[in-house]
Amino acid sequence: MTDTPVRPDAHTETTTTTAQRIRPERTLSEVAAEVPDVRRKRRVGPRTRRLIKHLLLIGFGLIMLYPLLWMLSSSFKPNEIIFREPGLIPSEIDLTNYTAGWNALLHPFSHYLMNSAIVVMGSVLGNLISCSMAAYAFARLKFRGRPLWFAIMLMTIMLPIHVIIVPQYILFSQLEWINTFLPLIVPKLLATDAFFIFLMVQFFRGLPKELDEAARLDGCGHGRIFLRIMLPLSLPALATTAIFTFIWTWNDFFSQLIFLTRPDMYTVPIALRTFLDATSNSSWGPLFAMSIVSLIPIFFVFLFGQKYLVKGIATTGIK
Amino acid sequence: MRATTTRRGRSRAAFIAFTAAGALALGACSGDSGVPGEAGETEASEEGGDGDVSIRFSWWGSDDRHQTTQEIIDLFEEKNPGITVVPDFTDWGGYWDKLATTVAGGDTPDVITHEERFIADYANRGVLADLESLDIDTSEIPETVLDGGRVDGALYGLATGVNAYAMVADPEVFADAGVDVPDDTTWTWEEFVEVSGQISEAAGDGVWGTQDLGFNEAGLSILARQKGQALFNEDGTLGVDAETVSQFFQIGLDLQENGGSPDGSRTTEIQAAGPEGSLLGTNSGAMGVWWSNQLGALSSASGHDLELLRIPGETEFDRTGMYFKPAMFYSVSATTEHPEESALFVDFLLNDPEAAALQLTDRGLPSNLSVRESILGDLEAADAKVAEFMAALDEEIVDAPPVPPNGAGDVQDIITRINSEVLFGSMTPDEAAEAFLSEVEAATS
Amino acid sequence: MAMIQEVAKTRHASRETRKGDGKAAAVFLAPWFIGLGLITAFPLLASLYLSFTDYSLLEPPNWVGIENYQRMFEDARWIQSLGVTFRYVFFSVPLQLAMALMLAMALDKGLRGLAFYRSIYYLPSLLGGSVAIALLWRQVFGADGLVNQFLAYFGIQGYGWVSHPDYALGTLMILNVWTFGAPMVIFLAGLRQVPTMYYEAASIDGASKVRQFFSITIPLLSPIIFFNLVLQLIGAFQAFTQAFVVSGGTGGPIDSTLFYTLYLYQQGFKSFDMGYASAMAWFLLLIVACLTAVNFFASKYWVFYDD
Repeated sequence: MTDTPVRPDAHTETTTTTAQRIRPERTLSEVAAEVPDVRRKRRVGPRTRRLIKHLLLIGFGLIMLYPLLWMLSSSFKPNEIIFREPGLIPSEIDLTNYTAGWNALLHPFSHYLMNSAIVVMGSVLGNLISCSMAAYAFARLKFRGRPLWFAIMLMTIMLPIHVIIVPQYILFSQLEWINTFLPLIVPKLLATDAFFIFLMVQFFRGLPKELDEAARLDGCGHGRIFLRIMLPLSLPALATTAIFTFIWTWNDFFSQLIFLTRPDMYTVPIALRTFLDATSNSSWGPLFAMSIVSLIPIFFVFLFGQKYLVKGIATTGIK
Repeated sequence: MRATTTRRGRSRAAFIAFTAAGALALGACSGDSGVPGEAGETEASEEGGDGDVSIRFSWWGSDDRHQTTQEIIDLFEEKNPGITVVPDFTDWGGYWDKLATTVAGGDTPDVITHEERFIADYANRGVLADLESLDIDTSEIPETVLDGGRVDGALYGLATGVNAYAMVADPEVFADAGVDVPDDTTWTWEEFVEVSGQISEAAGDGVWGTQDLGFNEAGLSILARQKGQALFNEDGTLGVDAETVSQFFQIGLDLQENGGSPDGSRTTEIQAAGPEGSLLGTNSGAMGVWWSNQLGALSSASGHDLELLRIPGETEFDRTGMYFKPAMFYSVSATTEHPEESALFVDFLLNDPEAAALQLTDRGLPSNLSVRESILGDLEAADAKVAEFMAALDEEIVDAPPVPPNGAGDVQDIITRINSEVLFGSMTPDEAAEAFLSEVEAATS
Repeated sequence: MAMIQEVAKTRHASRETRKGDGKAAAVFLAPWFIGLGLITAFPLLASLYLSFTDYSLLEPPNWVGIENYQRMFEDARWIQSLGVTFRYVFFSVPLQLAMALMLAMALDKGLRGLAFYRSIYYLPSLLGGSVAIALLWRQVFGADGLVNQFLAYFGIQGYGWVSHPDYALGTLMILNVWTFGAPMVIFLAGLRQVPTMYYEAASIDGASKVRQFFSITIPLLSPIIFFNLVLQLIGAFQAFTQAFVVSGGTGGPIDSTLFYTLYLYQQGFKSFDMGYASAMAWFLLLIVACLTAVNFFASKYWVFYDD
């Protein structure tokens, strides 16, 4: 925040009046270019500037959150009036959507939360281990056919799931994995999520190579370099992987719908959909209420996990 | 029919075996030894140890239906020890994706809930069993309703209940606008358009006469029948001429012009919002066409006492066009290992008065007439109104339209798209009629 | 890929290490290889095979040669879906990345309560694929939505934006930009890899914030920007859920939001034409692979690695 004005024509600006500045014939970019200079002239203190930043972030955040707030507010309205009275402020707080939604499906909603949690935990663990290993190989090791394998890896995420799901179903059905969590977890343990391999490759490649070369000279093998140097220094990447896997698995609808056939195995996204029926009446209120409930865990995971996102090497002081 | 079914069944199994072998061969290449053993457990517990039979029943719906259906299943299991019914429910959209995938994977549910638009696709491809070869009592179901589940002479689906496509009206909105509710036994399409315009004009901002009716082919089907035509003929070909289709789209355009229904974008938006977000549901419209079983959802959304009216034009042309539509079908898989138990369960769903008492009209007004009679007393106000309306219609309805052909599931998408073209002014009704006919022809051939 | 070859050529290790690398690589890649062979390869190859058949899902497939591929070019709706998708990718990916980078920098450091802000700004992305989004989006861009209420203050009568054929795609682009959380998080993580000493040195030299951004942040963040670009591009070409949910699965009004993948899904699951859908998917793969290759080739000129 200690920027110094470097514009050579800064002095000419001091004479421009406000009226002149908004003359319509002036282009928007010209006006915009001046704004920082004008602000600097007034010598805005760091405190005011922070306040402005807070206000901007809050204001913008409110716009971003409007749909969410509407959902929150609607979750407190009786199902019948959600559409008749779509205002943001509910006329009364009614918790029946929460109590009804919690028990509306064959099992209490906690059952579906628990199923989702199992799938999510397995996926996070799987992705963290398998993807970071593969990424280390792609980022740091030299082996024959590396570009080709890398290309193949990227290719595996370029096909839409809708044409893969049926062969997958047949495959898992032959393995008798249908209606277990295996089709959702085992692939993660086998690094089938190329997104995260690529992500970690990019982060590993951003780490200074001198580090592992020095370790190599000290006689460290790849296993130790990976465990002792790469992983600790890639905490942000690992946190990103964990958070994303968590959220995407938590929200993933299609594959969970197809692979889990019995209601006792259903996860949150499938349970949420069963509140709706396009052909007769839908329980929007309970849907909103349970959506809020299912957002709470991911919100806290993010709130807790985000501090690891910013624990990069810059803060740990190496390099 | 029998022979083809088994042949198809066998070749499907062969395909799955082939692909699975491919998968395992690929797995072997990478040096993995095999398959974890834990997966078999669920399968085993599902089947039970001592000759117990387990059948899977799939349906779509929302939470209310899931709960009542589970109660019905519990009742069935209590009365039929040794048979376990495994529920398999999802929402409407996910249901069809899942059903197609499980059929492709050779895991077809034993008892399948089906729908008019997709049943031919499944029946013609040998997925469904001919129900007349199974032991299901259909004596209490009227023949016209039974025919609704026949494809090429074989019975693939038994109607769970019946609905009628009808005009729902909100008398309070009519009264506020100072317009009389028209006599539905004689009103014409022109009167309907006029009345809608009058209401919009009198009621002021934010209230309209009617919701557009061009997004559902049922309306077109009724108009065609009124004029002695049919959307689809018995043999699955198109039975409606361009003039009639054009006339149908013209109704929507006329309503746009006289303000009887909201503009194109609002109409499209409301269309996607279901009963709860509809004009009737939000007290911002006097009329809308719906399936009769939706009256309950509409009434509770609007908080008003809604009425059912006949579709306009019933006395305007050659004959009446309204009909009873099978709300859903119960079907049985052609490859089920337990045809007797599946049949027993379908029979129970259709004919057991206790099951009916739980279900009431959730799957349409029961197709079994004695069961229908038995629940009349238990119905809520809106549903009782539906039953009454349907009873009155019974004498006027001539026949049921045949099961629509393969690919009929696309018709709704096609009519939605083309109706939007008309509402947004990018097609004239004549152009729209032509486009509709050629697209439907292509989709169903 | 070219970039990797380049790197492989220039950095020559001794023979011993290369031999050692091969073995180590086998170990590190073992899970991935097993996954590829056991789980990924078969469905992929099966869909390639099915793209040459008339597979209906309900019956076994029959070989039809390249018929499905020929059919695409005569299919007006397919061409429409390709156009919609290209427009969507072209506008929403750069916008989303710019938004994500901007907020990542704003939320990086130097302010109290950043953890809270980050979580708040991430919230929309958590909801992005939910069924509720259709309704929420209508609350914003519908005929009586927030935008029109705002416009009404100025006496402007807005449309029902979500369901107007000229604007529906635009609202979906905004929806995509709205869920910028994922790239933002990756940028946040990446920014921490940029050593602070560079900025300190630059400040001492009197470089402006803007200069610092272009000559320090961008180059050092380039591997991450590149990653986001490649992955968002691949993702945007496969965009499905939001259009599916908002349009109720139709891609309407009048196919204005008929994304490629949505059309493919309709063909595969609603019209029982999985053979055609598979062909469409492989054609899409071809397009995306080409664009990704171009991306990798171009990256030689603007992405800087430390190795």
